[in-house]
Formats: sequence, structure tokens, C-alpha cells
Amino acid sequence: MPPAVKEKSKSAAALPAKVPSPRKLKFQADLAPSEDSMVRILKTELQMTSNTDFLTDALALLRWAVSERKRGHHIISESSTGERKILLFPRLERVAPEVTLPHVDIRWTDKELESLAELASGQPADPTDALIRAMRQ
Amino acid sequence: MAVTIRRLEESDEVEDFDCGDEPLNNYLKRHAWTNQEKVFIGVTYAAVDESAHRTVLGYFTLATSSVPRERFPKKYVRGLPPYDLPLILLARLAVDKRFSGKGLGHALLSEALKITLRVADEVGCRCIITDAYPDKVGWYARYGFIPLEGTAATSPQKMFLDVRTIRRASSIDSFLPERA
Repeated sequence: MPPAVKEKSKSAAALPAKVPSPRKLKFQADLAPSEDSMVRILKTELQMTSNTDFLTDALALLRWAVSERKRGHHIISESSTGERKILLFPRLERVAPEVTLPHVDIRWTDKELESLAELASGQPADPTDALIRAMRQ
Repeated sequence: MAVTIRRLEESDEVEDFDCGDEPLNNYLKRHAWTNQEKVFIGVTYAAVDESAHRTVLGYFTLATSSVPRERFPKKYVRGLPPYDLPLILLARLAVDKRFSGKGLGHALLSEALKITLRVADEVGCRCIITDAYPDKVGWYARYGFIPLEGTAATSPQKMFLDVRTIRRASSIDSFLPERA
């Protein structure tokens, strides 16, 4: 067999096996006429032409809402006059943690942040007797 | 006196509360409820006497916070998770003067630390930070809070307690004699 052919067959053997690309999933939904109309209106408002784009954006928004609620955050709209409304969406409330604490910003000096980073990146201290008692109370 | 610690309620009696510090008194009387229920910037837990359920004997306020990773000095970033650092802020803790010396501060801090562990389990947090008045730094240090360097002389002292230390304390079941 001529060497060139040998080489060719060697390199063909070295090619990686073809990885199948992930299948795209078809999504079909039965919508009431009013919901269908709502989808069309929203697509027009958002200047969207495809249902795929619409679903992708809706999914991103819902995913964000779920992650925020999971962290115990509330989703609030605020008007220009400062009036606030909280989104209460029963399905979202299912993912909210039992203990919900609001989020605040703390003012740090550079030195405090350096000290915090040093402590947080190091090994934790052993608990003191008072701490052990506090956790046992 | 049997004490219950629970979330502050609108009908709780706070007008007679006096811990000896006007900003802490004023916070409970004027801002705690609004901040908890209307603007969501802090949840206040009140210690109440079980026989007089509406009178607040002491309280603490908690909130969550986080430090963006990029704000940390580069030399420490490698030792930290590749995300913002989530933490709990123990914003205030106060006991009415009439009930001081009865272990109420200990009970309030104990509850705050247990909530911290629950939050850590449910949504994740790495440490608890408190702003301590200079005369209270020693009290917090007994529980393992470590003063952060660099706090301005005019500000309360920021102190740090690692959630891993709290978790370890909660899992220790060796005998410890009760304090006299």
C-alpha cells in the first residue's frame, strides 16, 4: 500500500467522533384567545417578531424573579412619586425562604474591606465558650 | 420571667422602651416598624415577656448585605469564592435598662445568630457583621466577634463573625458549665 494512503487513513482515524448537537425543544401551548391576543400585543410593544424570542425573554425574566424571591428579596415597582407596589405572585411565593431579610448597602472603608477579606478568606476561628452557650440556648 | 423573641408586631408597646441610648430608643419607636413592613430595609425581632405580650424588653434588627468581589484587594480575592460576599448585618441590639443584667442581651444575640445560620442554610451568607459601640466591643468579642481594622474613630466599630464558626459552635455538644 502506498505510504500516502496509509497517512490518510491514520489521520482519518484520529478525527474525533462527531458530537451530536443538542436538540432544540419544540414548545407548544394552548392559549385562550385573550392570552393569544396578549402575546401579540406584547410582541408588538417589545418589537419582537418571533415566538422563540418572546419565550426566551419571558423565561429570562421569570428566572430572575425566581432567583430574587429565593434570596428573600421582594420585587417592587416604584412610581415617579415614590409610591411602591410589591409583586405578590403565588407561584413565586412558593420559592421564598422562610426567613426573609431585606438587603442594605454598608459603607466600608478600604482598610475595613481589606480586614474583612483577610478574615473571610482565612480559616474560621474556633468558637468561644460564650458562643457555644448562645447556640445551645 | 419567660421571654419570647419574635418579629416586631405593629401593636407592640414600644413607647416606654429605654435602653439609655437615644438613637436606639428612637429607632425602635419611630423607624423599626416602617423599615420592616413598608420599606424593607431591616427586620426587627423583639423580646417580650410572655405574661405581658406587647411590652418590648429588648430588640435587634437584621438585614442582609453583600460586598462586590471587585471591591476586595486583589491579594485576598483568590481565597474568596468567585462571587460577591453575602453577609448579614446585625444593625442594632438593645435591652431596656429595667431588664439589663438578666441575660436578655445574650438571649437576643443567641436568636440573631440562630437566624443567621438559618439564612445561611436557605440563601447563603458567609459572615455576620455588627456595628458595636466602643463600650460594647468587649461584649461582642466574648462571642467571637473580631474587630475589623480601619473603622473611622467617629463610627461604631465594625466586627466580624464567620458563619463557619457559628456552625461549629452549634454542632458542639460537649459539656460546658453554666456561667455563674
